[in-house]
Amino acid sequence: MSAAASAPERQPRRVRARAVAGYGSGIVLGAVVWQVVGYSTPQQVFVPLTTTLQRLGQLISSGELGSALWTSFQSYLVGLALALVVGAFAGILLARRRLLRVAFEPYVIALYATPMVGIIPFLLALLGYAFWPKVVVIFLFAVFPVLLNTQRGAQSIPPEQLDVARVYRTKELGVWQHVIIPYTLPFLMTGVRQSLARGLVGMIASDFFLSADGLGSLLITASERFDTAAMLAITLVITAIGLALIGIGRFLESRFARWKTT
Amino acid sequence: MSADAPHIRAGARKLRQASAVTQAVPEERPGPGRGTARNDADSTQAKGRASLWQATALRVGAGILLLAIWQVGAKLFAPSYIATPVGAIGAIPGVLGDSSFWSSTGATLLAIVEGLAIAVVAGTVIGLAMGRLPDLNRILGMYVGAFYAIPLIAIVPLITVWFGYTPQARLAMVVLEAVLPIIYNVAEGSRQVSSVYLDVTRIHHAPWWRVWGGVVFPNATPYVLAGVDLALGRAVIGAVVAEYVTAINGLGYYIIFNVRSFHEDQGAVALVVIVLFALAVRALVNLTIARVMPWYRPAKEA
Repeated sequence: MSAAASAPERQPRRVRARAVAGYGSGIVLGAVVWQVVGYSTPQQVFVPLTTTLQRLGQLISSGELGSALWTSFQSYLVGLALALVVGAFAGILLARRRLLRVAFEPYVIALYATPMVGIIPFLLALLGYAFWPKVVVIFLFAVFPVLLNTQRGAQSIPPEQLDVARVYRTKELGVWQHVIIPYTLPFLMTGVRQSLARGLVGMIASDFFLSADGLGSLLITASERFDTAAMLAITLVITAIGLALIGIGRFLESRFARWKTT
Repeated sequence: MSADAPHIRAGARKLRQASAVTQAVPEERPGPGRGTARNDADSTQAKGRASLWQATALRVGAGILLLAIWQVGAKLFAPSYIATPVGAIGAIPGVLGDSSFWSSTGATLLAIVEGLAIAVVAGTVIGLAMGRLPDLNRILGMYVGAFYAIPLIAIVPLITVWFGYTPQARLAMVVLEAVLPIIYNVAEGSRQVSSVYLDVTRIHHAPWWRVWGGVVFPNATPYVLAGVDLALGRAVIGAVVAEYVTAINGLGYYIIFNVRSFHEDQGAVALVVIVLFALAVRALVNLTIARVMPWYRPAKEA
């Protein structure tokens, strides 16, 4: 510990080598543990990494995984797009109109804290197994981070910028176009980063209970067949998707953070 | 000074309003809701007690409006069994008199509290170790990061295979969901121990357990609470999804059972209980942070 803490000034290359060794041994260790646990437990409980990868290959070549991914991502993308548009618009509106803010902000915050999985049974009863209830669930999971971050951004616009727009008698539409939206975009992107992850939770949850074909229902089916290899393989895929989305979110955030002045 | 500021700002605004052509200023344009927006803004700047009343009235009014839209919409467009606010309020006495509701509430809330307690202990230990031991952090960090990034409810089916359709499956889910943000926060927090404090311990040749107990751990406590704040919402989701899948006694199952047997209003009452519980625990955590550790500024949600 003390060696690693005092080393950066002296030998950066050695520290980097140690970090790479650390990450590498972490990956190798994880794979070995997976393999060993897989071999030493019953097949229904856990399977080795190699078996999991074989099953993953089968799922890919049979097309099951591809079609499930496509089904799931259709609703994910539509839900997320809706959340983005509605969240951004409502966020700016709440920031611009004090009446609306005072009236609705407590409800927005309460809904943000609401575990949205709770409404899935109600949506199922109302709309049945279909595309749109899944979109609604994903939308509800994803909309509030966008809304609240956009609102925070739009409220932090320096008054001078708005005053300049007012001096030139800019119409509300122009104020949005030239002042509010450019200023708020980096904040919006922070919301998007959070929403990408939350939307994925919504996607899996809605897949479990509102869908007969999708990534989540593939998991449920595998669990009913005690097909642990398939479950682990799908979980691996979901992990990869989750990490990819985090990467995309971080990229978007840093890409737009460049013109954030404060 | 600070007492004067609102006056000055209000005065400046009056001047601006007086000099501007009223219709050119976006906020001044007449239209539905817009005129009242200006009135409200003025009254808030007046900082009277009346503005607080107005704000409260506005909030209550907005809440009633939302519920009314739901009520009318459900009555006009939805089948009769769909939950409505009036129906849910009417269902409250029946739900409160229902012993299965109380046992469900107890089961779910106890599982969440128990899981949070386990997660706090385990998360603090793992987080402290990861924060202070860089090598351990390199090995474990990516796994914690990866599990924190993915929707953990995806492993509910696996958990049901491991634990069966039992309350232990729900507890395992709650612990898993809750432990990750706590580990993450505590590791982050213990990395930020001021090196001055550590130097002092080194000068005095403090044994490792006094360094950890006296400096590292107290420094990490607010991060534990901040982790609990983030963990709570995840824990509730984990518990409810586990109950949906395993159909064990709990509020999630109470909801699904009632909705399936066309008693949506009763289910809605249970949902409101879950939400109120989540809000209450969050408020408690934030109050504790504000009271016990006023120096701590909560980090933004990751």
